[in-house]
Amino acid sequence: MKQLKLTLILSGLLLFISSCEKDEPKDPVIPNEEEVITTLTYTLTPSAGGTPIVFSFQDLDGDFGNQPTVSEDTLSSQTTYTGSIQLLNELESPAEDITLEVSAEANEHQFFFQSSTSDLSVSYNDADGNSNPVGIITTLTTTTTGASTLTITLKHKPNKGALGVKDGDITNAGGETDIEVTFNVVVQ
Amino acid sequence: MWLYSKYLLAFYLATLVLTNTTGQNCDIRISGFIKDLNTGVPISQATIYAKELQKGAVSNQLGYFTITSVCPGDHHLTFGHIGCEAVNLYLTISKDTTITVLLDHSSQLLNEVAIISKSDKVGTQETHSLNSESIAQNSDKNLGTMLENISGVSTIKNGSGISKPVVHGLYGNRLNILNNGVAQSGQQWGIDHSPEIDPLVANRITVIKGVGVAEYLGGSLGSIVLVEPERIKPEPHLHGETRYFFETNGLGSGLNLSLQQHGKIGAWRLVGTLKKSGDRKTPQYFLRNTGSQEANLALQLEKTWNKKWFSDLYLSSFNTEVGVLRGSHIGNLTDLEAALERDIPFFTEDDFSYSIGSPRQKVNHQLLKFHTQYRLTDKQQINFTYAGQYNLRKEFDVRRSGRSELPALSLEQLTHFIEAKYQNYLPKNWELKTGVQANRVDNINLPETGILPLIPDYISYKYGLFAIVSKRLKKVSYQFGGRYDAETRNVAAISTSLPREVVRYQNNYANVSALGGLSYQLAKKWKASYNIGYAIRNPEVNELYSNGLHQGVGGIEEGNPNLTSETSLKNTLSVKGMVKKKLFIEALVYVQQIADYIFINPQDEFRLTIRGAFPVFKYEQTDALLAGFDLAATYQITDQFNMVGKYSFLDGKDQKKKTGLVYMPSNNLHGALNYQIPQFGKFQKMEFQINNKYVFEQKNVTPAQDFTTAPAGYYLLGIKVSAERQLKKLRVNLFLRAENVLNKTYRDYLNRQRYFADDLGFNLVAGVNVSF
Repeated sequence: MKQLKLTLILSGLLLFISSCEKDEPKDPVIPNEEEVITTLTYTLTPSAGGTPIVFSFQDLDGDFGNQPTVSEDTLSSQTTYTGSIQLLNELESPAEDITLEVSAEANEHQFFFQSSTSDLSVSYNDADGNSNPVGIITTLTTTTTGASTLTITLKHKPNKGALGVKDGDITNAGGETDIEVTFNVVVQ
Repeated sequence: MWLYSKYLLAFYLATLVLTNTTGQNCDIRISGFIKDLNTGVPISQATIYAKELQKGAVSNQLGYFTITSVCPGDHHLTFGHIGCEAVNLYLTISKDTTITVLLDHSSQLLNEVAIISKSDKVGTQETHSLNSESIAQNSDKNLGTMLENISGVSTIKNGSGISKPVVHGLYGNRLNILNNGVAQSGQQWGIDHSPEIDPLVANRITVIKGVGVAEYLGGSLGSIVLVEPERIKPEPHLHGETRYFFETNGLGSGLNLSLQQHGKIGAWRLVGTLKKSGDRKTPQYFLRNTGSQEANLALQLEKTWNKKWFSDLYLSSFNTEVGVLRGSHIGNLTDLEAALERDIPFFTEDDFSYSIGSPRQKVNHQLLKFHTQYRLTDKQQINFTYAGQYNLRKEFDVRRSGRSELPALSLEQLTHFIEAKYQNYLPKNWELKTGVQANRVDNINLPETGILPLIPDYISYKYGLFAIVSKRLKKVSYQFGGRYDAETRNVAAISTSLPREVVRYQNNYANVSALGGLSYQLAKKWKASYNIGYAIRNPEVNELYSNGLHQGVGGIEEGNPNLTSETSLKNTLSVKGMVKKKLFIEALVYVQQIADYIFINPQDEFRLTIRGAFPVFKYEQTDALLAGFDLAATYQITDQFNMVGKYSFLDGKDQKKKTGLVYMPSNNLHGALNYQIPQFGKFQKMEFQINNKYVFEQKNVTPAQDFTTAPAGYYLLGIKVSAERQLKKLRVNLFLRAENVLNKTYRDYLNRQRYFADDLGFNLVAGVNVSF
């Protein structure tokens, strides 16, 4: 009798739990992805004046979904440009300017510019609080005509004191890569 | 539950036989026999200590001992033997007394006792245990690394602070860990998620190198790990134990305190642990941000209502913060390649530090378990258990604009479990055990991260039903078990496409699993066991729906919603025996076929993102074959001098692609020389050990399956010294352990940190355990 009672109680408990089988998780809160960088724009304005040339990389849906949109342009040889980088988070509306976050933490960030040929070279034209380069504002100089690639890398927490890092050599920089974008550049 | 009833039994079996002599003032004699709990074999060279008298004795070849000139009154006696858990007895003596004391040997030590042990605790499957003495002497380790010395068991790590056990090549979702009889419920899916259990709370940790588990709910495809606090001893006085250790590598230290008393109203035990360690060191450099800290507390309450009815309540809180090597935090594949080429990781500093910054993990795990046992008759009993678990895991990354203080992953999990079991000892040595179980898991991402969650929210229900019958005869024992499991999982994910929206899935599974085992006494000192088990594991949420960048290795991981359940068929054959009480041998061979084995497969595709191109890994299924063996042998050179050798071999194959499986333990070889002195001046149980470990290179995987080649094989040398002595009413146990004595530089295949840094250099651990 006692066994029967216990069995009944226990099966009752099991039924009680199984009755909640329909319960579903609540709608998860869709996070406000404020940290994401969707867009990088590198605007090159000829020092002598003229139409700015724009390189951009845009990936609105992040790491998944559609392929990013890359827009490239042509530079003139034997020319000096003032380069300016803008980072946006276009998931937010209106789009948030992430460049501001980077310049606010200028000590902890540095852009690196690597060209596959000597047709073009980039030098820093700005500095953080410790007089180290950041790379939001740069000077790009072209020499002869040709085709090359330009890789723009943003490092978070690089070791700016390491050998060559101040001069734009990424080898000893360390840190984490927040951005690494490669553009095809034609100099003519 | 009934696993530890045996220890209680051992206690009661210390039977009192009072002989009828007139007890004058102080001329009473306490004498008796000391035998092995499992075999009844007399134990010689066992030590006996009477606290009140501050007097000791050593048992002779027949296990006999005697203490004379005892005054009438209350006496505390401690019985110890090398490799045995000490037994404490409390007696009121008024006349000459004869007692029989049964000691339990650690089954990790291969010896006569392990060979002829009659009472396999969990049927016919092979079990290995660490008793409280070996736990105390490894109090600096975590659950994973503590089990490493058992053959066939390895650990998968992410640095020294994060590790989980691997048994016969399986871990995580495929290996159940039971804490006090309750399946640990947390975020088991991640390689870098340690089990949230304080091993110092346990008195016994058992690994069942099995083929399947009929009794427990969960997805075990073979083996399980049981972490068990013992029943509180029926002792009216307050007793306790303190353990302290200090280690040179990481300048770590830990304190563990346990107190217990069997009072009139009920029995209680309180156990607390505090641990802290700073940056660990390789032979050449400090591993920055590899410190950790831990604070745990457990309360155990027991009440025997009457002869039939017993209840216990167990509360435990596990809280830890673990740093992850700073140089292993990378942004993309270029960073990983740069890290792989470096000898010393980025961010390495010249100075030691205790500080823990990002990347780091903060984990809290709370457990409440209520269990009650009711004896219907002498042979029948029912057990009812409720367990609630709350798991909170926050992982912090290095982020921009002060967001490092916001977790990048924040998961909360609440689990409810109920179980009813019925056990009956039937005539003709048959035993029946059956039960029903239900489990609800609610897993939620806390929306504080500002990042798309890696795994979705879900609520899962599991129901299980099982029955095991076993029969134990003199020469043969066998066991059959089966279980039925049903699972419904409701998932709410966030889409990875724009606009972000909630996507719902439902998974339904119904599985039947079965196992059978036979163990046979081949000859007087030889026993063989064969087990076969069929088990099913449902795909977990991370395998189905995870989507995201795996920070640790710079890869994008994509779940596959079409995965089906894995089915495993495992066979084990084990033989153990001894030759002339000198050579003890144990061998276990296993073959496990897992159809639809879920694994993460690198794709040919690279995904272009704003952070560069990432390799893509997708969860896929294949047929896997795991075949291996564990060999162990002890040679007793003299009474005091022995040699131990162990070898574990495993070959994991992807049968479809004809390649090796990734993340399978390397083959490894252990050897140790032990020298034991039962009594040395005022010290007892003195033991010297020199141990050697060789881990072979993992040659089954090709460089194409990984980011880099598997590390070379390595050899480590260790030394250990331990001794015990009585200081008035205190029993003091001391140990000194040196690890990686030669300060070898090495990397281990199963340590994810190997992409970035070397493994640990020399470490000296000193510990003291005091019990009263």
